[in-house]
Amino acid sequence: MALAPKLLTGIHGLGKCQMPSAISCLFLGPRFAGYCSSSLQKTAAAPNKALDPQGKSGRDLQSPHRREAALDIPSPDEKPEVSFDKAIRDEIKDHFRRLKDEFVNHWIGPEGRPLHEVMLEQAKVVWQFRGKEDLDKWVVTSDKTIGGRSEVFLKMGKNNQSALLYGNLSSEAPLDGDSGHSGYCAMISRVPRGSFERKKSYDWSQFNTLYLRVRGDGRPWMVNLREDTDIIQKHNQMYSYFMFTRGGPYWQEVKIPFSKFFFSNQGRIRDAQFQLLLDKISSIGLTLADKVDGPFFLEIDFIGVFTDPAHTEEFAYENSPALNPRLFR
Amino acid sequence: MNPLASIIMSSTLISGTLITLISSHWLMAWMGLEMNMFAIIPMIMKNNSPRAIEAATKYFLIQASASMLLLMAASLNFMYSGQWTLTEMNVSMASLIMLIAMLMKLGMAPFHFWVPEVTQGTVLLTSLIILTWQKLAPLAILFQIAPSINVNIILTTAILSILIGGWGGLNQTQLRKIMAYSSIAHMGWMAAVMIYNPTLMLLNLLLYLIFTFSAFTILIKCSSTSTSMLTMTWNSYPLMVSVLLIILLSMGGLPPLTGFVPKWLIIYELIKNTNIAMTLTMSILALLNLFFYLRLIYASSLTLFPTSSNLKFKWKINTPNKMYFLPTMVSISLLFLPVSPMILMLN
Repeated sequence: MALAPKLLTGIHGLGKCQMPSAISCLFLGPRFAGYCSSSLQKTAAAPNKALDPQGKSGRDLQSPHRREAALDIPSPDEKPEVSFDKAIRDEIKDHFRRLKDEFVNHWIGPEGRPLHEVMLEQAKVVWQFRGKEDLDKWVVTSDKTIGGRSEVFLKMGKNNQSALLYGNLSSEAPLDGDSGHSGYCAMISRVPRGSFERKKSYDWSQFNTLYLRVRGDGRPWMVNLREDTDIIQKHNQMYSYFMFTRGGPYWQEVKIPFSKFFFSNQGRIRDAQFQLLLDKISSIGLTLADKVDGPFFLEIDFIGVFTDPAHTEEFAYENSPALNPRLFR
Repeated sequence: MNPLASIIMSSTLISGTLITLISSHWLMAWMGLEMNMFAIIPMIMKNNSPRAIEAATKYFLIQASASMLLLMAASLNFMYSGQWTLTEMNVSMASLIMLIAMLMKLGMAPFHFWVPEVTQGTVLLTSLIILTWQKLAPLAILFQIAPSINVNIILTTAILSILIGGWGGLNQTQLRKIMAYSSIAHMGWMAAVMIYNPTLMLLNLLLYLIFTFSAFTILIKCSSTSTSMLTMTWNSYPLMVSVLLIILLSMGGLPPLTGFVPKWLIIYELIKNTNIAMTLTMSILALLNLFFYLRLIYASSLTLFPTSSNLKFKWKINTPNKMYFLPTMVSISLLFLPVSPMILMLN
């Protein structure tokens, strides 16, 4: 099913995000109508000589800007090769190669590394931002999908050492007669895929704390973790915690133990709380929804996990018989 | 759980299996299996976490589908042969569907995908029940229809189960998943000999139950669910790690421990029936199982795992978990090999 967008575009050779938002809406659902960061760059219109006979000087002035903006588009000399059969063949070969890699990696150990290395590991960088390909692992979304006015963009920061998530939050509710509140922006990691686009998950059971190196503007963010599941109703469930950024020129190291994450279903924090189990983490998300209109930015260096030996808490919240008698029967 | 509720669940679980074991009518057998399934679902969901509920959902879906297939097979059998007796399964299509239903119930390849997920999703005691008690009823049905089972399908399933049980368990750090893959592999060995000598299948089942029960009892006593927790067990329960060593080596099928008896007798039976290639493949694939047991032994008892010093010396606090019959089980796991001439005579 995931091959369908690639088949529909039928273009071979472009190594970027190939899912236009309409198709992504169809397959991922309106909630997830993410657009890739790379597709957000403003594309310049190709100069049309027939319509613009006398704009030569104007064009000369504009051409450096157009050249700057059009870095991602291949030049008119190289035409992209459009071949349906070749695309399908290459796709199938790629998936079988990934399957072969999975078998070989399974023989070596979990995630392709020997088991003793995985078991003795105490810190791991899971996502870092050092190039455009790292941005492709993330999807940004905002309340534009429900008709709001927030905007959010993701781009690489200076010297390709960090990613900058910036935009404008607007809590103006969409005029659809249904929503009373609005105003959120989020950056969600893509679910890692194996061969034949099967979902994979992260196994963080050796670790107990999440580590983010960020530089924000003082806004409070929410870190959300989702678990990998086969049951469709569990896609609404997530575990969250807050990340308070300090504005300022210094980088901030945020350490959130996994025991602090609280459980919510369909956006509502539930009375019955459960511990986050770390063996099947599917994605992480950073959400801004602090009801303050205006611009925001968050610079992220990397996101990792580590074991804090001093942290022995298993779960920070407890269930009470008053709120949940069912759990205590 | 409420004591009354847990008494009702346990008694339904036990009586469901017993009804299936003693029944001669297909509908009674089906009824016992359904009682079994309904009783264990709340036990899987006991700790109420989303993971446990997912495990219970998956278990219910698989077992309900398998029960439906069982009923269909029994009805087909009745349609063509006019009787409901368990042992008289003469219609080949019905026998095939029944075999597939039982393979789903047992979690054998290619219907094994639910076993690690469900075993991992619930507490250790319920995982023990799923991997031991829940195997009795379907294997009893297979024992009774053994003469009419399709040979090609059962042997293919057996070899696939041994392969997948060995391959899948290779990279696990979660102990319940390791035991789940070990269960899949052992079911494969049982399936391989079922058509040639069903009594040997029962012997293999009995010994597998003893080994799994002992291993789980130790894990419950040490409250460890992952390999890294097991590496610290030498500190609080030093004798347990030696006992775990014996049990895991026995499960791997190493002589002179008891675990060698079923493997040796199964290989002997298969060779007597001139199925040499399969025997060779099964013996080689059993090494995969032995590899991950050895890795557990390596991590828990043979080496001292590196860790920070504050975890090295713990106060010895006795957990209230009881070790039922552990000395008996360990003695059987260790010393049963000399009794094998008696088993051969009974054959």
